Amino acid sequence: MKISELNQIICCIFFAAVFMFLNSSEALAESRSYKRSVEKYNIPDISLVNQNGKKVRLRSLLYGETPVVVDFIYGTCTTICPVLSAGFVNLQRNIDTKGGSVRLVSITIDPENDTPKVMKEYLKRFRAKPGWDFLTGSRADIDTVMKAFNAYIPDKMQHYPLNIIRNPKDNSWVRLFGIMSSKEFMEEFQAVAGKHKK
Amino acid sequence: MIIKYLPFLISILLATPLYSAPLTPDEDLSQSDIMRLGEQMYRNGVLPSGEYMPAYIRGDTEVDSGAFSCSSCHLRAGLGSYEGGVVTPPTTGRKLYEPYRRPPSLGDTVDQTGRYIYAKTVQERPSYNRTTLASALRFGVDPVGQKFNDVMPRYPLSDRDMTILIRYLEFLSHEPSPGASSSEFRFATIITDDVSPEERKALLNPLQNFMDRKNQQLALYNDYIKFGYIPTAEMKYAFRKASLDIWDLKGDPSTWRKQLENYNAAKPVFAILGGISNQNWKPVHDFCESERIPSLFPITDFPVVSDTSWYTYYFNKGYAQEGEGAAKYLNRLIEDADTKTVLQVVQDSEVARALASGFENSWKEMERSPIKSIKLTAGELADNKTLNKILSSRRTSVLLLWADAETLPQLKKTLSRLKGRKIIFMSSGYLGKKAADISDEVRKNIYLTWPYRLTPYIGPQTGQFDARVPIVTSVKDFGESRITSRTVAMLLQAALQGLNKIYDNLYRDHFMDVMSMQMDLTVRDYERLSFGPGQRYVSKGCYIIQLGHGKNPELIPRSEWVIQ
Ligand code: HEC
Repeated sequence: MKISELNQIICCIFFAAVFMFLNSSEALAESRSYKRSVEKYNIPDISLVNQNGKKVRLRSLLYGETPVVVDFIYGTCTTICPVLSAGFVNLQRNIDTKGGSVRLVSITIDPENDTPKVMKEYLKRFRAKPGWDFLTGSRADIDTVMKAFNAYIPDKMQHYPLNIIRNPKDNSWVRLFGIMSSKEFMEEFQAVAGKHKK
Repeated sequence: MIIKYLPFLISILLATPLYSAPLTPDEDLSQSDIMRLGEQMYRNGVLPSGEYMPAYIRGDTEVDSGAFSCSSCHLRAGLGSYEGGVVTPPTTGRKLYEPYRRPPSLGDTVDQTGRYIYAKTVQERPSYNRTTLASALRFGVDPVGQKFNDVMPRYPLSDRDMTILIRYLEFLSHEPSPGASSSEFRFATIITDDVSPEERKALLNPLQNFMDRKNQQLALYNDYIKFGYIPTAEMKYAFRKASLDIWDLKGDPSTWRKQLENYNAAKPVFAILGGISNQNWKPVHDFCESERIPSLFPITDFPVVSDTSWYTYYFNKGYAQEGEGAAKYLNRLIEDADTKTVLQVVQDSEVARALASGFENSWKEMERSPIKSIKLTAGELADNKTLNKILSSRRTSVLLLWADAETLPQLKKTLSRLKGRKIIFMSSGYLGKKAADISDEVRKNIYLTWPYRLTPYIGPQTGQFDARVPIVTSVKDFGESRITSRTVAMLLQAALQGLNKIYDNLYRDHFMDVMSMQMDLTVRDYERLSFGPGQRYVSKGCYIIQLGHGKNPELIPRSEWVIQ
């Protein structure tokens, strides 16, 4: 074995160790990288348009027996939306394997550009399964929804990562600000939905 | 804990063959192979094997890179982005192999609203080398072991794939683009020979003013420097000499490309500012695309409508956007069963064809069943016999009449042949000021496409130092070419912002990236301009309006600015 190869092995093991250490110490310190609060929201009675071009009443989409997770993204977004949407895909996958159900609702903050076609392609790119809807609408309606969730973003370039989970039992919402790991997201979800055994 | 990260660790160990070659150029790949494969990884997230690159966020959130790739965050030129309070740093070899200090970011501190820190970035680091860079991509640590935040994914790549990607990063935005230097920007504008002297002036005046003002500011700034003023980094790049060439295009459009190539070879420019033609813009569009020259907001009714083109910014899709507006409005108006009662009539002209293609593309995009479309000559439309015959042989409730104002005297008769809804859609741009001739009695049946502002705009008409007067549009504005006001909007807001923000990164691709990350703009002619990576038609709206009564009728909106 040449020296350089040995170096590489050592390097690899070293970084793997560093990687585990950093993550485990973080978990031990209980330092969540996101902020959590429980809120009540008054959802406006408006209709938005989904990725299939169909008008949907927001209330009938959100007010059901199934827990709902809402986020705000847009089709051509850099940086944050990919991370939020990766969180959605993984949550959907995890809930699928562990049993239970969820309704995922992404609401655009770029209603001018996000046509049903753009939204459909976005969902396809992320391999969304049925149960994840992407909504657009008039700018006035989108502004109303953002304000109702205390998430008004005057300009899309200033938006921030937010997931909001609705608890169907008491109509409360868990507001999660920041970027979660899949495990944290799943735990937050289960805290609302209860653990399913199916 | 170890279990949690097991999938990640295993994938890294598997992807890192113990006997792999060090990070040197692959013997079996040519430079151009490496660039092509690297670009495919960087832009599309596709490995040389054709598989998607695996990526992990926060250790356990696995995503494949079909959804997003390096360029989603670091942008095409690799100089990073700033969005949502997250600084995405540059990822070009030039920047990585040098020590780096990040600009401050919202994510660095809790902001005034008490928002939580979620994406604090590494503040300062020494230079990378190829080995530490590979570790950064695999494990998310910089050369001195500082861990990246949760936004930057970790990429467990094989050594070979890693080598290719790193070689691509080294090449990315390496050589400054032609037409720019630390002291000068060279621009051109393009004018075709069908353009009238007045239109030419309307375009060149604001452009010339812009150049004069930039050079005047530079002189002033140099005076300040002489008196000992120490500029901020930002200021240093805001003041640069600017020059403008006029690229006149003559003769048949098939010869434009050669002419453009000659101009560009003689004196290359950094970007093309504005431009004007009454003919189809495609030859210029294609030239800019293949030469990778940014082209900002030419005045044209016939832009290229494409999802994938990169280098030309347009205000909107021209006539196609009006056709699209009609399609979106009609989409909400009629059920699928009724599409048989819709008829599209297309005059044999380039304008009408553009309107029809805008309608048809949008209609198809909304997955509606196709509608019947017929083509008529101007002569056939003027005497109305042909159209009447067609209308009597079928049940038509909605007519899309993409025809010029010569057809207006026939409208009443045409309308009488319609059944049910009795609606006719026409284009305000195509009719022009003559739309005022639409007789009062049929106005309630006529819907017009109107791709400009309706709500009063409070602000300078020309973007210069004029009084602030509200601007309300009227039929007199139909068919108005708005050359000066739109060119001013392009210059003062869009181009200037972009040019100032590229600092000393004189890459055309970076300029396009910076332009795409702008905040929304309010301008005189459109309700709103909005940007975003890959978005190239910045005004997305088109009202459907009706005319009120009288000689100078009110324009009554029947739709939103953007119809969903
Ligand atoms: C979802 C957004 C995102 C994607 C996708 C992404 N990055 Fe990053 N990248 C970031 C952010 C944010 C940082 C800053 C992290 C920090 O400093 O904590 C970063 C940091 C880096 C750094 C370190 C720069 C420095 O100066 O230390 C490199 C190198 C890098 N990324 C390369 C890449 C490459 C190559 C890809 C694709 C294989 C990629 N990134 C994909 C967001 C992203």
